[in-house]
Amino acid sequence: MRKTLGLFVAILSIGVIACQPAAQTAQKPQEPKPAQAEPAKKEDEGEIFKRAYFGAQDKWQKACSNPLQLAPQNYDVNKFIEEMRATIKYPADGKLIGDWRKGEELALLPDEYRALYGKSGGSRKGNCYACHCGDPRIIACGNIGPSLRGYGKRGMDPKYTYEKIYNSWAIVPCSIMFRYGYHGLLTPEEIAHIVAYLHDPESPINK
Amino acid sequence: MKKAFLLGAPVLAGALFFKAIAQNPPTPEQIQILKEMGVSPADVVVEEGRELFHNLKGTTGKTCASCHGQDGKNLKGAYAKMPRYYNDIKRVADLDTRVKECLERYVGVEAGGEKGRKHVVPLATYVATLSNGMTINVELKHPEEKRLYEYGKQLWYTRAGAREFSCAMCHEVLADQRIRLQRLVAPTRDKVYSYWPVYRISVDKVWTMEERIAACFDSYFLFDPQKGKFDLDKNWVKRPPYYSDEIIALALYLKKASNGATIQVPGIIR
Repeated sequence: MRKTLGLFVAILSIGVIACQPAAQTAQKPQEPKPAQAEPAKKEDEGEIFKRAYFGAQDKWQKACSNPLQLAPQNYDVNKFIEEMRATIKYPADGKLIGDWRKGEELALLPDEYRALYGKSGGSRKGNCYACHCGDPRIIACGNIGPSLRGYGKRGMDPKYTYEKIYNSWAIVPCSIMFRYGYHGLLTPEEIAHIVAYLHDPESPINK
Repeated sequence: MKKAFLLGAPVLAGALFFKAIAQNPPTPEQIQILKEMGVSPADVVVEEGRELFHNLKGTTGKTCASCHGQDGKNLKGAYAKMPRYYNDIKRVADLDTRVKECLERYVGVEAGGEKGRKHVVPLATYVATLSNGMTINVELKHPEEKRLYEYGKQLWYTRAGAREFSCAMCHEVLADQRIRLQRLVAPTRDKVYSYWPVYRISVDKVWTMEERIAACFDSYFLFDPQKGKFDLDKNWVKRPPYYSDEIIALALYLKKASNGATIQVPGIIR
């Protein structure tokens, strides 16, 4: 065991840049080029990450970045909602209700789809069951959002459903529900398929 | 021989146990049994860390024990106060960063990036155990500690990415609710830092808080605005690099929130 470790260390040591000798006890700030110790490539990764974290943040996300994670008091909520509504785009053909089977493929993860149908399908795009329950066959469903079981029988307006999925912040500012259309996570046509998955009487959601 | 047994027994017992429960996540009772039997797979990693601590040599010819004493006797309680500012590296360091810097500066072993984790994780886990039974007490004395703490707090509440996530949204506002069947923990409220680093059953690995924080960012769906919108294949910025200010700042924020809790590592979680 120890031999292996020794060998391992020996291999590792080859080509290792000589570092300054141990000066652990003396805490003298020797300032030996700490920046150089980091490979430049890694710094880039950090920069990209920061850009993705902060640079990509929109003004509405900024407004929601507070301890309550809600629209702050100094923000006009009606204006917030108006601005969000203005981002909503609709399918080119005007159809807000697509094909529920395609919607199901978008709503279910590949694992969930395989578990139900024994074949490949599903997608990582919707991830609906992380937060919502719906199809009664899927037991591993989250409780962050309301249950969608029987959604199509509740008399909801499909246009509302579409807009809620496209940009949930046009209805509830700062909601945890992703703004699927706004961020391009789903196209307008794909959202229409999920609307069908929720509203169609033949969908497992309503069976 | 004794060491071989120490290493061998948990590995064997752990392997058998986990083969048996591989199909399903372990129940709390099973986790309790593991703890009582003293065969948490993390113990193997602690032993590995102990070996490295005393035997790993690099270009300087020194080991960790050369400076920190046999069995790390000079490091008892060190973890309770981390992350903190270190004069020699001119930076606030969490446990992992401190270990990595020591390896590179004083032992002479390259320890950066994913490759270096094979040394950093066991050493960090071992060093953490040297503070077992002690109370977490992170103080913000140095201006850099204060600055980084405030940065950590800011990050905690920052909504970002194509999923509008923030740390706080899931782990404060929605704490105790479920993502699928996984309960969302509340690290600040429940002082969870007391049992980190942990053995994570679902990935069969020991994770330090660096891995935990980095992996959380995978779910954010962050994207590079210079390349346009989020795209699963082409524009997905997954996680911050190890030892970055962002990870250390969040670790500092969470550890400070765990002040007063008793350190009991390595923990074991699903």
